[in-house]
Parts: sequence; structure tokens; C-alpha cells
Amino acid sequence: MNCRKEPINEEHMTDSTIQHHEATRDVTFRVHRFNPQVDGKPYFDDYTIQVEKGITVLRSLNYIKEHVDASVSFRAFCQAGICGSCAMRINGISKLACTTQVWDELEKGREPGVIKVEPLRNLPLIKDLIVEMDPLVGKMKEYSNWVDSKMPENEWGRKEFLISEEEFLKYDKATDCILCASCVSECTILRANEEYVSPAVLLKSFRMNVDSRDSRHEERLAELVKDHGVWDCTHCYRCQEACVKHIPIVDAIHGIREDALAVRGVKDTSGAKHAEAFMEDIEKKGKLVEATLPIRTNGMLWTLRNLLPMAFKMILKRRTPPPPPLVKPSKGIGTFREMFREMTEHVKQDHKK
Amino acid sequence: MKRYAYYLSCINESMTREVDKSIELWQKDLGIELVKMHESTCCGGSNLDYVSPKHFALVNARNIAVAEKMGLDLVTSCNTCLLTLRSAKKKLDESEDLRNEVNELLGKEGLHYRGTSDVRHLLWVLIDDVGLGAIREKVKVPLKNFRIAPFYGCHILRPSTILGKDDPLEPSSLDQLIEALGGKTIPFEHKNRCCGFHTLLVAEEESLNVAAEALEEAITAKADFIVTPCPLCHTVLDGYQSKALKQTSLRQSIPVFHLSEMVGLALGYSEKQLGIKRHMVS
Repeated sequence: MNCRKEPINEEHMTDSTIQHHEATRDVTFRVHRFNPQVDGKPYFDDYTIQVEKGITVLRSLNYIKEHVDASVSFRAFCQAGICGSCAMRINGISKLACTTQVWDELEKGREPGVIKVEPLRNLPLIKDLIVEMDPLVGKMKEYSNWVDSKMPENEWGRKEFLISEEEFLKYDKATDCILCASCVSECTILRANEEYVSPAVLLKSFRMNVDSRDSRHEERLAELVKDHGVWDCTHCYRCQEACVKHIPIVDAIHGIREDALAVRGVKDTSGAKHAEAFMEDIEKKGKLVEATLPIRTNGMLWTLRNLLPMAFKMILKRRTPPPPPLVKPSKGIGTFREMFREMTEHVKQDHKK
Repeated sequence: MKRYAYYLSCINESMTREVDKSIELWQKDLGIELVKMHESTCCGGSNLDYVSPKHFALVNARNIAVAEKMGLDLVTSCNTCLLTLRSAKKKLDESEDLRNEVNELLGKEGLHYRGTSDVRHLLWVLIDDVGLGAIREKVKVPLKNFRIAPFYGCHILRPSTILGKDDPLEPSSLDQLIEALGGKTIPFEHKNRCCGFHTLLVAEEESLNVAAEALEEAITAKADFIVTPCPLCHTVLDGYQSKALKQTSLRQSIPVFHLSEMVGLALGYSEKQLGIKRHMVS
């Protein structure tokens, strides 16, 4: 905690420290507006209101709706960071309006005294700050994001399912998800292709797949490895960074991939083949053999069709990766291989356990 | 002369050889020596961690243990190697069981992971160890006529729990370096976004869409060039540029420089010396 012994002199204060010590100030909320029934395209309305320190963005929006402009539309319910319904982009980042302090946002805005409020991305816009959640719900159905009990129906309510603490810890964090869709809004691949499964659905899928009570593990995994599924994540970590519950979403995505490789092997998807190539090369040379990586991932035909024109230009620029025999192994590769293979034995032992 | 153990990234030994070539030219000008780790192996490139978490821990414990044996911090000039090595380090530092298991194997090579060497990006070394003041003094050809779009790439920013040098929402280190070299940064919304590299071979269309957005912004903003601290981002933004831009209505192109080349230019080295002529976009 910082303690000041001398009175704060405004002459020595920066703009941001002045903001911190003011009890109230005028703040402009630049709110995204769009009513599809009357507007040709979206626009922004500025609402300047006096805000006390300690007030959240959601309370400010509620004030605007009640006292300034009743037509401003947004979703909100619990006002306590639990229901996830008030997720929106505040100063460009997807988060919950009910847990976001106006004072914190004032320091982040591009324009002094202005907070920009926009709807989530990657979901269809309904009105102002409200987006359609149906596409997300649809994907949750497509990927069976629920536990389908292994227990015969006639035993329901008569018998308990006991879960060990060790098992619960595997999906403890994943169960914190409140489906606010902030991760969906920030997702790089979803922005490039709306058919992509989305981080929220991958997180839920992981959570269900590691649950020993569930009977759909194999079916769900078979769906997840298809096009627009788990292998399309580009590991940008935007979802994880934006998660309002600090859930390690990418760990869950990697958990599904690990599971898919263990259960299904590398036969059916280019993503799995691509990942496995790293393991092979490291064991053989200690180095990645980049020249053959496209062929091992997608086959010769795909490589010729997609990369041949670029390969010619790369040859002219002397930019092509060396062919496999010219990839120099790391120094000490002999002992390294021994260690690597011994670790393979450890892993086999772990699986037996 | 401050010394570091320099991690050899696979891509810098194959497609982007100009990165290490340019660093070799200027490292001593800035009072640093990057000692090449010839024993190092591929970090697993953001894949090995889920193919086999135990092998991932072994391989990267060994990489870091080599730096520890040299008594130096490990430095890399690739974002994904940075994240991968730091992720492994975090896992190893948090688990005595994992440390013991890998150390038992590393003993065969006379290595032992202790967790004493830090894992850092070259950009961080330039900012924190060399210092912007010292860099400014060494500039021979200020980049004053250039409007530069800084593209940080994901794995030097996120997840901030493992990286933590820059604010992933408003990163500034590369901007500061550009200014120290006399250049002018342009406001660039895509500075902290993704290049799409890690899905290029798996979801090519999506990756090219992602790259095209960043390229389009830099071209429209009339930047003279994009600079990136990551050879993987460079591979997409330069190597796949013409393919990516086919998805847009733009008919221009934009050069993309490695961080190491930009530093080299400001320190007075020629484009030829720095290997810039090897780029796909000139």
C-alpha cells in the first residue's frame, strides 16, 4: 500500500494522478449504436455524465438508460460478475461491464475522459451493444457440451457418482466459465472464419471429455478433430488473456489435442500429423526438418498445388529450407537420443499406471 | 561486454538465416556477445507440449541447462521459442518431481537443470540491458525518414502470466526501440494481433485472412515498412504476403524487416550485409 505523508500538490501531479484523486468527474461514454429497423449503418453516440470514483461501466450505462437516453440497449443481469450477460468491448477489449471500473478505464482510453463501448465481436449484432448468442449455443449443441451420463437411466437418483479430487482438479478451472463470450469476441480464427468451433466451446468440450461420468468422449473427440475444430486454433492466446475468470483456455485446447493424439493417433487430420512431425524430427536430429514439413502435414499433392509457385521464388532468393540430409543435427545428438527414448519409456510406464 | 547463451531457432537456421547473420554484424557494437548454443535442440515450436508433455519438459530443461552450464542467461530471437522455453521453465520451476525426473536423464550428458538461467528475448536485452540511451548513441544512420509499423507478434506478449514484459494490450518496447533508432512509429491497431503462422499448414485460408488484415492496415496507413521481433511472423508477413494480399483489393506491397535488420540499418550496415535482399518482398 502506498502512503503519502505530505499533501498532494496539483502542480506536481500528472493527468492520471489528478484523475485518481478526484472524487467525481465528467466522463464521456462513446456508445456504439445500431437499430437495424431504422439505421443504415452503425454510429456512435456520446453521453457525458458525472461519475463518482468506484462506479462501474455497467452502472454508468444503467444511469444513461434511466436518465439520459432510454433507447440505449444492452444486456445485464446479475451485476456481480457471475452471469456473464454484460460482456462488451470496453476501450477495445472484451470484458464484463459490471466488474470494470470507470476509473481504471479512464487511464486506458485513447482520448482523455472518453470510454468507448462496443458490442462483442464475432457474433451477429442485434442492436446497440447486444449480440446474438445463438451461434455459440448452436456450436455447444454440435459439440455435445454436456455430460451424457454413463449411468443407466433406471439408476438415476438412486446412486451417487463419486469423483476423485484428482479428477476434479483437471476441470476445476474450466467449470468457472460463465459463457460471457469474451473469448469468442477476441478469437483470431473466428474472426477469419465464423465456422470455427470457438474457444468457449473448446473449453467446454475439454471439460466434458475429462469427466469420467461422461459417455460421449469418443464421439465428441471425433467431431472436434474435423475441419474448423480443435486443430484450427492458432495459439494466439487472445482468448486466455481476455478471459474474465482467468481460465487457461489454451491449456484446455492443448488438452484436447493431447487426448486426440493418444486416442485417435495421427491418421485423420493434418493438424495431428503436423504436431507429430515435431516429435519425430526432434528425436532424429534435434532440429526441425522444415523442407518436408508441408508434405508430412498435407501430402505431396497439396504441397505442389499450394506451395510450388512460392517455392520457385524462394529458390531464387536462396530462402528454401535445407533438404533433410543437409539439416545438421544438434551437437551431442547421440546422448540426446538416448535420453529422449528413455523418456518415451517413462511415458509408456505412466500410461500403464 | 555482456555475454548471453544464444539459442539457435530452427527457422533462423533454415529460412530466415538473415536474422542471425545480422545480429552477428552488430552485437559487439552494442556491447553484447551472443554465444551460440550448438547443443540446443528444437523447442517443440508450440506443439511438443501437447504431443508429449514429458518430452517437452526434457527437451527444454536440456536447452536451459546448457545455458546454465555456460553460466549465462538464455536469449532467443524467436517469439515462439521464447514462449515455449519460458513455459517449460515455469513448469520445471514449479514441480520438484518433474525436475528430478528430467535431471536423472540429463545426468547422462553431464547436465543439470537448476532454474538459474533466465529465458529472454533479444528485444528485452536491447531495452533492459543495453539501454535505449546507449543504443541512441550508437546510431549512425537514424531511421528518421521512415514511418514504421511495429508488429510484436503473439508469443512475446501473451500469455502475460508467462511473458510479462510488455502490456499485451498496449505494448511499447518495440515502439521505444524504433524511436531510439530515430524512426517514427505509426499508430497500428494490429501491433498486438496474430500473424496466423501456427495454422498456415492446417487452416491456410484462415491464416492468410489474418495476415492480410495486418498487411492491409500497414499499407493503408502508408507505413514504409513493418518490423517484427519474430521470424515466424516475418515468414507469414513477408513470405506469404503476395498470397495473403490476393484476398484483398490492394495491389501494393510492403517490406517487412526483422528487428535485427532494423537495428543493423540504423547502426550503418547495408541491406546487402544484413541479408535484406533475401526477403520475398523487396
